[in-house]
Amino acid sequence: MSAWSFYIGTLLIYFAVDALSAISLNLQFGYAGVVNFGYIVFQAAGAYAAAVVVLGKSAGPGSFQQYVFGAHLPFPLDLVVATLAGALLSLAVGLFSLRRMRRDYQAAMLLIVSLIALQVVSADVPLFNGANGLTGVGWPLGQIFGLSAPASPWVYAAWAVGIAIVVYVGVVWLSRSPWGRSLRAMRDHEDAASAMGLNITALRLQVFVIGGAIAGLSGGLLVEYIGAWSPGAWGYAETFVVFTAIFVGGVGNYKGVLLGTLLVPIIFLELPRFLPSIGYPGLTDSLQWVAIGLAWMLCLLFRPRGIIPERRARAKRLAATMLEPSPIKEGA
Amino acid sequence: MSGQLIASIADGVVLAAILAVAAMGFTLQFSLTNVLNLSFGSVMTVGAFVAYLIAVVHLTPWLGIALGGVAGAVTTVVLGRGVLRLYARRRTQLFEMMMVTLGLSLIIDYTVQAISHNNIYGYSVLQGSALSMGPIRVTPVQVGIVILALVVLLATWGSLKFTRMGKALRATAVEPGLARACGIPTGRVVLVTWVASGFLCGLAGVVFVISTQSVDYTTGEGFLPLVIAAAILGGVGNLWGAVGASLVMGIVTEVVAGLGQGGYSTVAGFAILVVVLLLRPGAVFGGSEDRQLVL
Repeated sequence: MSAWSFYIGTLLIYFAVDALSAISLNLQFGYAGVVNFGYIVFQAAGAYAAAVVVLGKSAGPGSFQQYVFGAHLPFPLDLVVATLAGALLSLAVGLFSLRRMRRDYQAAMLLIVSLIALQVVSADVPLFNGANGLTGVGWPLGQIFGLSAPASPWVYAAWAVGIAIVVYVGVVWLSRSPWGRSLRAMRDHEDAASAMGLNITALRLQVFVIGGAIAGLSGGLLVEYIGAWSPGAWGYAETFVVFTAIFVGGVGNYKGVLLGTLLVPIIFLELPRFLPSIGYPGLTDSLQWVAIGLAWMLCLLFRPRGIIPERRARAKRLAATMLEPSPIKEGA
Repeated sequence: MSGQLIASIADGVVLAAILAVAAMGFTLQFSLTNVLNLSFGSVMTVGAFVAYLIAVVHLTPWLGIALGGVAGAVTTVVLGRGVLRLYARRRTQLFEMMMVTLGLSLIIDYTVQAISHNNIYGYSVLQGSALSMGPIRVTPVQVGIVILALVVLLATWGSLKFTRMGKALRATAVEPGLARACGIPTGRVVLVTWVASGFLCGLAGVVFVISTQSVDYTTGEGFLPLVIAAAILGGVGNLWGAVGASLVMGIVTEVVAGLGQGGYSTVAGFAILVVVLLLRPGAVFGGSEDRQLVL
């Protein structure tokens, strides 16, 4: 097992997790127009949930780490719990933040949720061990096969990519379904969609919960592999990595989103590892974030719809054929 | 218990004073330009760091307060006139503009992080021994902050109410097209708004770190939720509303903190906004969707 093989395997896992995030955020933002600036919170919820059901009973205060509700669940169940945690939290948040209001207020509200959740989890140590976070989360899939995580990222990569593919197919299918069409109708003209009899609030809540469930799943997958989770992993800026990926790739276009995921979180954030380090340790990290911000702003300025924009021609063509006057038969 | 409560309320008033300075700047800026400016917190951080640097070179902290405000004003003008206008020319809409300010916030925050080596710096100036009045213990600087907030409130209110520029500003905020048609130089009004709100923003950043006695790159970002919540709760563009909302949120935050729930104090402040939103959505979010950017 060479270092390179390990590195590529790990990257593949990160790609699968980031792709899951980008797909679900694209469903929410690209299709439904819900601007979830608190996205990372739902991923964090999944990660914490998966961690506590793998870690076993907490030894309580004074021990090395403390958390609520410890359990030892067998392998796939922790991911189920993670998914449910993401879905339930987004249901709770969605119930008050998805009411009809100006979009910019709504986005600001979700950003505030993200900032405050971070403060609470950092400060409330009995909940998830505060700012130090949880560590030593085992590797449930590997334990079945008797493998240790560092030795075989490829097994896990195959598993994670498999899940990502299943979710990708599912989400694309959902987006093309009548339900997906009503999401786009809502995004493009809320009042018109409402007048056509669509329940805007319910649609928003549905897409928010589905996206939250996928976010939770991605968090669970991630924490199983890296084995630790702390507030440092889900700062508000993390949400914008995913948003930048969507903006770079193409809002509302799943192939574009995958491209964006490859470009932004993988190449953009991994490439600096191979560059000579500059300045004091940590400077590269800060500059990386500045670069993400710059990429974000340049995209908004020059290509607001992304490299591969959403395909909108089909509906137009259809309308055109319907409006075409039927040829008059001569000599009939 | 009641003594503890009174002490918490006094702390709440001090927090409210800081919050009010920021919320007044935010509400002024937001009501005129209609940009929900998420880089407001980052500009606060910039102001705070400028004040810290003044303290490092051993100049008087009063100069730090003034220059912190000036730094806020300059940064805001550069962002508003330089960056946001660039986007407005490309027909960026209301909502996308908020995303632009978010990108700005990322860039400013992490540039500050890079320059400050991601450290937390202690900043204790103007601290004096606490005065006791019954259960209330306040330091002179806390009294000074409350007085400063009152002065800022009266000055802002007075200039909005009685000067020509204030009148022009109010007119532009209500109906920019009509104001322009009446010969009001809206461009200059916007510039004045950037300067004034930026100054208040930088000032708030400085008084915030005087109160917390430390500064790092997340300083403003952590405070921003309260500022936005206070500005929205008070009704956008409503100066007195912003101050009233700041008082409510400041007091609730400190009372909850006084009960020993430090981690949840900000949540409590924010919960008020959520409750008001649930009970009377129209009161808070009455603004219409078709507002235009004024830059």
